Amino acid sequence: MQKRNKFFSYFLIFIFLSLAIFAISKTGFLNPLDGFFKGIFAPFQAITYGTFSKITEFGSNAQIQALKAQNLALTKKIIDQNKLIQDNKALRDQFQTQNPRSLSLMEAGVIGAPGFIPGISVPETLILDRGENDGIKVGEAVIYQDNLVGKVVKTSLFLSEVMLITNSSSSFTAKTLNMQSQGVVKGQGGGEMILDNVVLSDNLEKQDTVLTKGDVNGQGTGFPPDLVVGKITSISKTPSDLFQKAAVRSQVDFSKLTKVFVSTR
Amino acid sequence: MKFLALIFLTAALILEASLTTIPFVFLCLLCLTVLLRENWLFAFAFFFGILLDLVSFKTLGTSSAFFVIFLFLVLLYQRKFEIATNTFVFFASFLGSLGLLFLLGYNNSIILQSLISSFIGLLLFWVLGKFVKVGTDSSMSV
Repeated sequence: MQKRNKFFSYFLIFIFLSLAIFAISKTGFLNPLDGFFKGIFAPFQAITYGTFSKITEFGSNAQIQALKAQNLALTKKIIDQNKLIQDNKALRDQFQTQNPRSLSLMEAGVIGAPGFIPGISVPETLILDRGENDGIKVGEAVIYQDNLVGKVVKTSLFLSEVMLITNSSSSFTAKTLNMQSQGVVKGQGGGEMILDNVVLSDNLEKQDTVLTKGDVNGQGTGFPPDLVVGKITSISKTPSDLFQKAAVRSQVDFSKLTKVFVSTR
Repeated sequence: MKFLALIFLTAALILEASLTTIPFVFLCLLCLTVLLRENWLFAFAFFFGILLDLVSFKTLGTSSAFFVIFLFLVLLYQRKFEIATNTFVFFASFLGSLGLLFLLGYNNSIILQSLISSFIGLLLFWVLGKFVKVGTDSSMSV
């Protein structure tokens, strides 16, 4: 005898349950449960992501990897040196010396990169294994070797989501290292970003380093100043436009990040 | 059979939560539904949808509602037409992935991702077909 499955009743039960959970979740009542399960899954995500990162690195040219790392370290040195020069100048000129509070950095592991298909797309967000329990707050900057990676946009008890600076929703004020031109860095998606809203009278240079201008708010969240955003790769300047813009490329390969630091204050 | 489905879906869940937006869980559910045509797959769709939402920072219930509705549509379709075919799996994977990625708010080359999903869906259908005998119960009633 053929079994007659009443799948419509099953459908009704589970669609009702799904919609009920959706409605309750929207009100925030399920947040503790949410955090608990994320805590359970985090180690598995970390293992999978870590293993995959190692697989993608396998076969890549070790010398190029070393040069990239060296390049990052050298850029950091240039920024530090530049800051020292500026501080000295300020002291000499008897200007007030500003001693920005050193960043309080919390190490976090990258355990996921939703939206990332190797060879096809680049990550737009990262999932970190630190959350509200570790003191992470929405709006805090995420960095790697003084390079800006992104901003925390969502948190749960054990995890947090970081929107990368290349994400099309990302936008923040920035300046160039050599010319001190100011503008707004806007993520374009697909690993691209532009420095926009730079007045035509300013000079932009190819290979100039773009730094954050700093937009820390009263709660202590936001991007601290002088973090490396990337280098200018091309400039678009039309006399009839109000502003000029430049393509900026980060020196960090976001798809290979396994550890980052959250700037907590 | 349920144990095998559980293993496949758990592996798909971990992959999707850690690495990529390709909707592995949805593809697994689709292929299992096409092959098995069992009611308990609704429970799996609900459960794994909730888990997926939990680990990917989505509002709980979003994915599970989508999975349950899509499974229902597939089962409705199979009352009139044969669904255990490569063509059906390909187009269902494509449309389902497109809908799911759009619903979850991804805007990064979703057409391409859906196309890749379709091919992965076909591959999964072929692999699962080696383990699972195609369900013969075509008398599922509403």
